[in-house]
Amino acid sequence: MRVTERTNFDTVRDSIQRSKQRMENLQMQSSTLKKINTPSDDPVSSAKVLEMRTEKVNNDQFQGNAKMAQMVLQNTDHALSELSDIVVRAKEIALGQSSKASSNENTRLGVAEEVTQLFQQAVATANRRIGEKYIFAGFKTDKPAVDPEGRYMGDDGQQMVEIAKDVFISSNLPGIEAFNTNPKSSSDAPGVYNSSGRTLASSTGLGMTLDQSGRDNVNVFDEIQNLRISLLTGDLDGIRNTLDRFDQAQGKLIAARAKVGSRLQGVESTSQAIERHNLTNAQLSSALEDADMSQVVSDLAKEETVYKSALASSQKLIQPTLLDFLK
Amino acid sequence: MGVPNVMHTGRSGMMASKAAIATTGHNISNANTEGFSRQRVETSNLTPQGSSGSHALVGSGTQISRVDRVNDEYVEKQIRSGAREMATMEERDMALRQSEDIFNEMNGDGLNRLISRFFNEFRKLSNEPDNEAVRQSVRESSSAMVNDFKRLRREVDEVRRNIDSRLEGYAKEVNSLVDEVRDLNIKIKAMEVGGAPPNDLLDKRDLALKKLGTYMELTTHKDGQGGYVVDIKGVGPLVVGGQTEKFSVFRSPADEDGKPEGAMELRTSASASSNITHRIKTGKFGALLDVRDNTLSTILDRLDDLAYAVTNSVNGIHEQGFTRFGSQGVSFFRNLNAKERAAEFMDLSDEIKASVNNIAAAAEQDAPGDNRVAIAISGIQSAKILSQGKSTMDDFYNSIVSDIGVATARNRSGMNQQRDVNTQLNKIRDQISGVSIDEETANLMQFQHMFDASAKVIQVADEMLKTVLELKR
Repeated sequence: MRVTERTNFDTVRDSIQRSKQRMENLQMQSSTLKKINTPSDDPVSSAKVLEMRTEKVNNDQFQGNAKMAQMVLQNTDHALSELSDIVVRAKEIALGQSSKASSNENTRLGVAEEVTQLFQQAVATANRRIGEKYIFAGFKTDKPAVDPEGRYMGDDGQQMVEIAKDVFISSNLPGIEAFNTNPKSSSDAPGVYNSSGRTLASSTGLGMTLDQSGRDNVNVFDEIQNLRISLLTGDLDGIRNTLDRFDQAQGKLIAARAKVGSRLQGVESTSQAIERHNLTNAQLSSALEDADMSQVVSDLAKEETVYKSALASSQKLIQPTLLDFLK
Repeated sequence: MGVPNVMHTGRSGMMASKAAIATTGHNISNANTEGFSRQRVETSNLTPQGSSGSHALVGSGTQISRVDRVNDEYVEKQIRSGAREMATMEERDMALRQSEDIFNEMNGDGLNRLISRFFNEFRKLSNEPDNEAVRQSVRESSSAMVNDFKRLRREVDEVRRNIDSRLEGYAKEVNSLVDEVRDLNIKIKAMEVGGAPPNDLLDKRDLALKKLGTYMELTTHKDGQGGYVVDIKGVGPLVVGGQTEKFSVFRSPADEDGKPEGAMELRTSASASSNITHRIKTGKFGALLDVRDNTLSTILDRLDDLAYAVTNSVNGIHEQGFTRFGSQGVSFFRNLNAKERAAEFMDLSDEIKASVNNIAAAAEQDAPGDNRVAIAISGIQSAKILSQGKSTMDDFYNSIVSDIGVATARNRSGMNQQRDVNTQLNKIRDQISGVSIDEETANLMQFQHMFDASAKVIQVADEMLKTVLELKR
């Protein structure tokens, strides 16, 4: 094979160029700590990385949603517990005043005052707020859930929040579910939203009426009010009647707390699942896009050696010609 | 044969070695000339003449029969097509890399992130539908997303315009190369009439054709009259002997082959019938046209699809909802009439721009805590609303990014392969036509010795003549 100077120089240029290109690539990796710096470095992985980034961002939001739901639910739980204490106290009073032996007009009037206090406390508890938001009012969060007479002013709106992809949980408990023993049509079902979240047509029955027919419907506020009136009027039968109804109201409150408690648990466990998911994702995306630094550094050292030897051999190759020996 | 003839023989040797030395010098001085093929002096022995008193024929010296260039037509052809492949891929690489930079999501806040943010802001809104600060940030993130749609479209368009201006520049370069080939054709033909091959002009024409061939695929042949013809493959003649076609570029309306509105088309003359825009498939022209009319057009179409789908699906839900003012039917994005250039025309609706309380989060009137519409809008993120219900927005957008990545990566690996092939081809050409200084130096000495020896022949003949002349005394 004929070898010409041009071949020599081209080879020298070529090998130095290649070596430098590889060094540049390694340099890039070591400065960004990533092996995918443009989509074309690895198109398939980069699409996957983007997908996982979206997932991460969404998961972070779901975690935020869960925190928010937890806060509302915990406050709901506290309020329910306070309401439950009020009902217990009211029942104690009713028990104490239910027989002629233990009650007379004076004691009745005395405790009637306390019952009035209890009523006001109950209304205040039902109108518990987080910020400007009435937590028991369903969707009507800008107005008190219960008016001063103890009438429910909210609706049965469930504020669903997404705590994991396509997992919705109701973050609030509409007051009507807790204060009334037998409310119609309030459901805890998240079925309103399908996975795409687009169906709105089947929204919950909105036209519900508060004065229900059919089964006896006990209302916490009504019963406290009844007790007070019975106390003021000395209606012992009326007082006795409230005992059973207070039990029913208490039962409802306990059921509501159980519901809130189980939601809180659900949020907690979903949240942990997301945490684990995030961890796995982080590992996977690191494997896809992060440069293996020990590899990069050792490759860089190797490449430097290659580069130096290319330079050294070039020096030998370029220098002499026949002319150097013909003097 | 007479003594003067011996002198003549020596003279012919000196002439031949002088020519050989001159050619060696020519080779050495052109060792670095692009496209140069080393030359060789071909000599032949002269017809022998009968010598007096004998039937034997005595040789009478040498003559320069021709000076040839050492050149393999077939390798030249391969080099030409290799150079074209390389130019095609380099040109495409440049345009694709620019496009890839626009979509570089790997280390920046790209549209992918902004889309996620947009939906997550609606999730935040679903937590606190009655919080005005959250509403503000919903609007802010939406306009960030809209702006990025616009940015992407604008920048891709910018790449397209760059391509157009390159086409314009290339057309000028092609025209000047075409002129060069034509001039060389005329000169070569004139010199070939004399019978000697005009080596250096042939080298020059090969080089010009190699350059010209990087723009498009060419074929060459000689016509009946000995004229050199250069054809654009699949189009027609470019240079016929002393005649040429001229390239020109025109702006014209969009066509059905993907050429965008107002983009340049290529013509080989001023008439519209000579439009060759879609007939050039390779070379720099082919690569640029392909990126502009296929790759980038597809990207833009898909961006528009995406923008249109987002606008419509968000509006479709938003319009069912109730704003804080209790009105229904308010659009979130400005309604788009058509898919075309949707990414460019996409915008927030005037109502949303006017007040964040026009964002509808509620599915019923007068229910500030109602978040059902906000949830439904955030659900669009995982809804398969694109590619006939096969992909979500994220999938769709990520596939645009990865498609560009795939196109760039594929082209680059092809380019690297071609570079190796070209290196190899150039080595082969160099083996055949390249100038080796060592070789030329050795030749130089060889020819010098030959020159010395031929001079010696003349000297001897001279002495012989003297001897003969002195016989009389």
